[in-house]
Amino acid sequence: MNIVIQARGATLQALFLVILCVAMMVVDHRFHHLEIVRANVSLALSPLRYLVSLPAIAGSWAGEWFTSHTELLEENSALRAESRILNARLQKLEILAEENARLRRLLGSSRKIADDVIVAELLSVDQNPYRQLIEINRGSGDGIEIGYAVIDDFGVMGQIIHVNAQSATTMLISDPDHATPVQFVRSGTRSVAFGRGSTTQLELRYLPATADIMIGDELVTSGLGGRFPADYPVAKVIAITEDRVHGFVTVIAEPKARLDSSREVLVIKPRD
Amino acid sequence: MSRLRYLVIFLSLLVAVVLAIIPLPEWAQLYRPDWAALVLIYWSMALPKHVGLWFAFFTGIILDVSQGTLLGQHTLALVVIIFINMNFYQRIRVLALAQQSIYVFALLLIDQVLVAWVEGIMGRPTPLLAFFGAPFIGMLIWPWVFVVLRDIRRKAMLSDRA
Repeated sequence: MNIVIQARGATLQALFLVILCVAMMVVDHRFHHLEIVRANVSLALSPLRYLVSLPAIAGSWAGEWFTSHTELLEENSALRAESRILNARLQKLEILAEENARLRRLLGSSRKIADDVIVAELLSVDQNPYRQLIEINRGSGDGIEIGYAVIDDFGVMGQIIHVNAQSATTMLISDPDHATPVQFVRSGTRSVAFGRGSTTQLELRYLPATADIMIGDELVTSGLGGRFPADYPVAKVIAITEDRVHGFVTVIAEPKARLDSSREVLVIKPRD
Repeated sequence: MSRLRYLVIFLSLLVAVVLAIIPLPEWAQLYRPDWAALVLIYWSMALPKHVGLWFAFFTGIILDVSQGTLLGQHTLALVVIIFINMNFYQRIRVLALAQQSIYVFALLLIDQVLVAWVEGIMGRPTPLLAFFGAPFIGMLIWPWVFVVLRDIRRKAMLSDRA
């Protein structure tokens, strides 16, 4: 008798928890009420994350420590050369920026101000293998909020989707759930680049067959939607497939950012 | 006594969560066994009066947060397999380790399918073959998990009676 009652209690409890789980999933998927739970649990877990990424940190530290003198000298001279080249380019850029501002004034449109950025590093922590998420070591304490864009030195990487006090989760542009508003640099055509769950491919669907697209075309953020500031490099077209029946083309593009290997990233605060 | 028991269980679950987020090469990620499920199955077999659905629930929440999945996704799967285990553990824990492994494979497969199912509902279908890798590795690892945790339990002298 006792056992029967016990078993029934466990079944009811299991049923309750299953319903609770389903309710939580629905709320988490549709609304943002559980974001606070996630942030707090995540904060409590942050020591674990640092513990897990410790070997990677130690590895890079040891690598720096044991670099030989000649290697350092070589690297130094290479960096000097690069800095000279960049400086020369910068001078040109400044002139261009000034000219651009002058032209914009002539046109009467608002001037583009440099974006505010926060430098962050990746925590080497694995997430769900079916998703394209990364953890960075800056959080709300550093001024990061949900929706901020994340870039590396080559292009757009993704956007912040969860924040706690000391770290934040970034959804990469290659996540199947992510869509990036983009624009072709050469033709000015606007479109949306969807992730496909692979770090090397983005997909642009349902472009008109008459659109002016060529392999090698560069894609930049269009700034539509307000999440990503305009004109950051996103991807390069690597394949175009035509759907003759429906008159659409689908474009495959390779992300510019090194989604799977960049360790240092920049988080961009949107200007409002 | 009881404080020590919970400390040991918490520490083992903590290790399981660390193993769940420790970086692996990309090809190996699909074969990562669900460590938290293995540890929970062990404890719910060894100390069924103390480790049950609520343990599964809170471990699941921690997994969901650390993996960036929906809150409730791993939780649901863990609650379901621990509930199944609660109904079978008496028959299973007297079996040989190899026979237990097959049972554990079944539980891990249910766990995996439930997690992937929710992914599918959200429009991210997962490849079918990917389902079997992680439970299979989990099955091979089960005897070691069992022996290690049993030794720890005996050292700490934990049993359901105390």
